[in-house]
Amino acid sequence: MAEPFAAADREALSQALVEHGDRLYALALRVTRDPDLAGDAVQEAFATALQRIGAFRGESSLGTWLHRIVYNKAIDLLRHRGRQAPLPDEETAGGAEDERLASLPAWARPPDQLLYGAETRRALDEALGRLTPQQRAVFTLREMEGLTTDEVASVLELEPGAVRVHLHRARLRLRSLLGEHFKGGMVAS
Amino acid sequence: MKCTDLYRRLSDHGEGLLDAGDCAAIEHHLRECAPCGELRRDLEALARLCRESPRPRLPDDVRRRIETLLRKSA
Repeated sequence: MAEPFAAADREALSQALVEHGDRLYALALRVTRDPDLAGDAVQEAFATALQRIGAFRGESSLGTWLHRIVYNKAIDLLRHRGRQAPLPDEETAGGAEDERLASLPAWARPPDQLLYGAETRRALDEALGRLTPQQRAVFTLREMEGLTTDEVASVLELEPGAVRVHLHRARLRLRSLLGEHFKGGMVAS
Repeated sequence: MKCTDLYRRLSDHGEGLLDAGDCAAIEHHLRECAPCGELRRDLEALARLCRESPRPRLPDDVRRRIETLLRKSA
């Protein structure tokens, strides 16, 4: 039997589902790359939020708080089901690798001629799959959802400087990986 | 400015974290160095591609399950 919760809390979460449901699912899907896991992550996140909303002190927005719970659920599900490695705390690339990626030749054709169409979006999706889950989360929240660096840091419980490092690395890796798709003569890492 | 300096600072430049002198040095390098200019062009194109990618929608069955969860908690 479910425990009864305050009507105001349930209403706030219902409203958050309307306002943020798609964004939360997008984050979970891009982290897990599995629609079933992503759906489970969002559903479990709302169950957890329902349990904990009484202790939510409003230090971040409700949306930010829910994004954080969804991200943690998505990572937990990946860990439990053993579908993805490396996990977020694994970081093998360093500054030298960043320099190598940055110095690769440019995309062969002007990007504006290449960027529009389902094939390119599929290539982007495949390239995102080559990043770590944490890089995907940073990149998704910053570049695709338009959050500020500070907001991304709050969601992922990272320092803003760490967010910038992950974002820079994700951008360089995606440029390299998409270079292959654009036949720019790059070797994807 | 060397290319390797630019690689390290380009993101901070994009975030508006650098002072005017550093920004001017980066912009000057980007104008003078074709590979670095192309790097920025590619990264800007990547950002545009991401902004224009459709966001996946929360599946209806998941949304209904969450609505049921919230309703049953009353």
